[in-house]
Amino acid sequence: MKITHILNHFKQGLTKSRNNLKAKLDLLIKNSKSKEIFLEQLEELLILSDIGVSATQEIIHHFEKINFKEYEKNDFIYFKTQLKKILFDMLDHSSPGIEAKKDQLNIIMIVGVNGSGKTSAAGKMAYKYKNEDHQLLLVPADTFRAAAIKQLDIMANRAGVEIIKSSENADPASVVFDGVNAAKARKKNMLIIDTAGRLHTKVNLMNELKKIKKVIRNEAQNNYSLEILQTIDATMGQNGIFQAKSFNEALGVTGIILTKLDGTAKGGIIVAIKKELNIPVKFVSIGEKLDNLLLFESDKFVNALLD
Amino acid sequence: MFADLSDKFKMIFKRIKSRGKLSDKDIKNCLHEIRIALLEADVNYKVVKEFISDLQTEMVNERISESLSPSQQIIKMVHQEIAKILGAVKSELNLSSKPPTIILMVGLQGTGKTTTAVKLANYLNKKGHRSMLVATDIHRPAAIEQLKIFAEKSKLPVFSMGTKERAVNIVKAAIKFISNKDYDTLIVDTAGRLHIDEQLMFELEEIDKQISPHETLLLIDSMSGQDAVNSARVFCEKISVNGIILSKIDGDARGGAALSLRKTLDVPIKFVGTGEKVDNFDIFYPERMASRILGMGDVLTLIEKVESAYNEKEISRMNQRIKKNDFDLNDFYLNIKKMEDIGSMEQIVNMIPGASRMNLNKMQYDDRELKKIEAIIGSMTLEERNNPNIINGSRRKRIARGSGSQISAVNRLLKQFSQIKNMMKKRKFIKNFPFS
Repeated sequence: MKITHILNHFKQGLTKSRNNLKAKLDLLIKNSKSKEIFLEQLEELLILSDIGVSATQEIIHHFEKINFKEYEKNDFIYFKTQLKKILFDMLDHSSPGIEAKKDQLNIIMIVGVNGSGKTSAAGKMAYKYKNEDHQLLLVPADTFRAAAIKQLDIMANRAGVEIIKSSENADPASVVFDGVNAAKARKKNMLIIDTAGRLHTKVNLMNELKKIKKVIRNEAQNNYSLEILQTIDATMGQNGIFQAKSFNEALGVTGIILTKLDGTAKGGIIVAIKKELNIPVKFVSIGEKLDNLLLFESDKFVNALLD
Repeated sequence: MFADLSDKFKMIFKRIKSRGKLSDKDIKNCLHEIRIALLEADVNYKVVKEFISDLQTEMVNERISESLSPSQQIIKMVHQEIAKILGAVKSELNLSSKPPTIILMVGLQGTGKTTTAVKLANYLNKKGHRSMLVATDIHRPAAIEQLKIFAEKSKLPVFSMGTKERAVNIVKAAIKFISNKDYDTLIVDTAGRLHIDEQLMFELEEIDKQISPHETLLLIDSMSGQDAVNSARVFCEKISVNGIILSKIDGDARGGAALSLRKTLDVPIKFVGTGEKVDNFDIFYPERMASRILGMGDVLTLIEKVESAYNEKEISRMNQRIKKNDFDLNDFYLNIKKMEDIGSMEQIVNMIPGASRMNLNKMQYDDRELKKIEAIIGSMTLEERNNPNIINGSRRKRIARGSGSQISAVNRLLKQFSQIKNMMKKRKFIKNFPFS
């Protein structure tokens, strides 16, 4: 896919939220008669994007220090640039996506709460890396949810990617055991593992993930890399932080996949997650099609949101 | 990291309690904290604004009574306000007087429609209905299969026509199919969709217009953020939604979305999803939810669950045995079984008032421990259960082997049991025991 194409995709997905936010910000800039109104409207705008009270207060604090009397009405454009910069600074600037090397086994384990889009993300990611000429194998380790294996199987077929066999109610750790060994035997350089959705408060289920991670380490042994990616639904509220915190404590999450960004929700929770836990966003998902998974780029995210 | 709503309120009220009387400044501080707490609980910005202004009017108008402490009074006020918004009355399903009743499940992707459709069918069948599920999610890969497999586990029938037929036609065919059969309820599972997806929303409008379901239930994830009201509003505008089901409330989200939805939409919340099992499904009680949000625990639910797990005969029998000091391992075993019926340790703890204050909810409960105890007692003979004193070294060895556990685990269990018996002898404990 060409860069411009990706950009258009990204923008299309964000059009709704962008229009919304742009309209609000423009209105805000035009109507701000006093500092107080400006700050209140800024607060509303930020809270409604789900970035959370603490990040909002931090941003508001930046603007509180400004002496508004020095600015003409038109100068409020300056605040827009400022706001962009602040949001940009709060996000991650490391390179997005993941580094997949041809001469090692790149293992990606996808985790998250129920309904956050793990299986879809796994299928889309397989499609993406297959098109970049990697040798892939998919592992359906969600042996709990009815027909989750079948769902990934269908996606693997559409993406033209190999998938290992697994059966409902099988021990997910043993499925992963088979997966890692199959990847080595079949000389694959990339393994994508889909896991069952679980609420971060369920101790047993979180332990199950730790066990899976251990199996990966034991079986892969050397010449491998492991990315643990957590799906966060863009419609998620402040509980997203608790989710990220718990999964991170249990497994060490290396990145976020922000899903369902094609709706009207802003996905602002990723700002709070970055701020509180320093976990970067690696991908965004903007639709149900196989090619709807894109690299996350913080400048584009902020620009698409505010421009 | 922020504290949850209940912890925040407790902090505010503790501060006020220590001051004694409420000044204007107290009210202002209090409102400020309540505002932040509500925003952190994902209550919609605009709803919070309205809530705070209502509360302010009430606080100013209401005279602080002499008998109540200011903190108690504010707790009462906030609780009442939240309960009022949540609906104050519980809402029943609209069941058609002339069968079949048609229930449509709708919502965004990943909110739990398929799982909840099966839970609802199971719930209704327990009340004597005969439900059939209808699979119309022709879009998501393997969605129909998911419904079939999950329904099969509860022996519930599913009507499906593959993925080629239009959703509305599948529903029509299902209605025709059951016309001469013994079903009185059709529960229609639909594909998850974005509210701004015109094409897919049209699919729902078509069903809504041509079938006119008796009940259309909108699934909302209890962890949703500020946008929940926007998507819900569009669903309500396009089709006639008459109930909300709040899913995944077994997590630690405070569920502020519930407040927002009730305040902005004229649709009652009817049920809540409380776990992944088919019977993890409950009626929505506004008063209880308000209490839960305020950290006052959910004692009513706990009592109800305990009551439904034990029948009267069992309670009086248990009482007798405790009084006579006859409580043996059989009774202990029965109680463990009952506890599993009531819910996981985690669910039980979350219903206890003040659990968050005592940090009980942060403790880790492993329900497998109960299973291990069950296995150990299960490996004992009846005689051993009636009279644990006879369990000597070689019996312990046998029990450990039989239950696949260590001897130390058997020893621990027997020690714990004798401690419990000793405690039961003391009157103070009996007084607090649920059966007394």
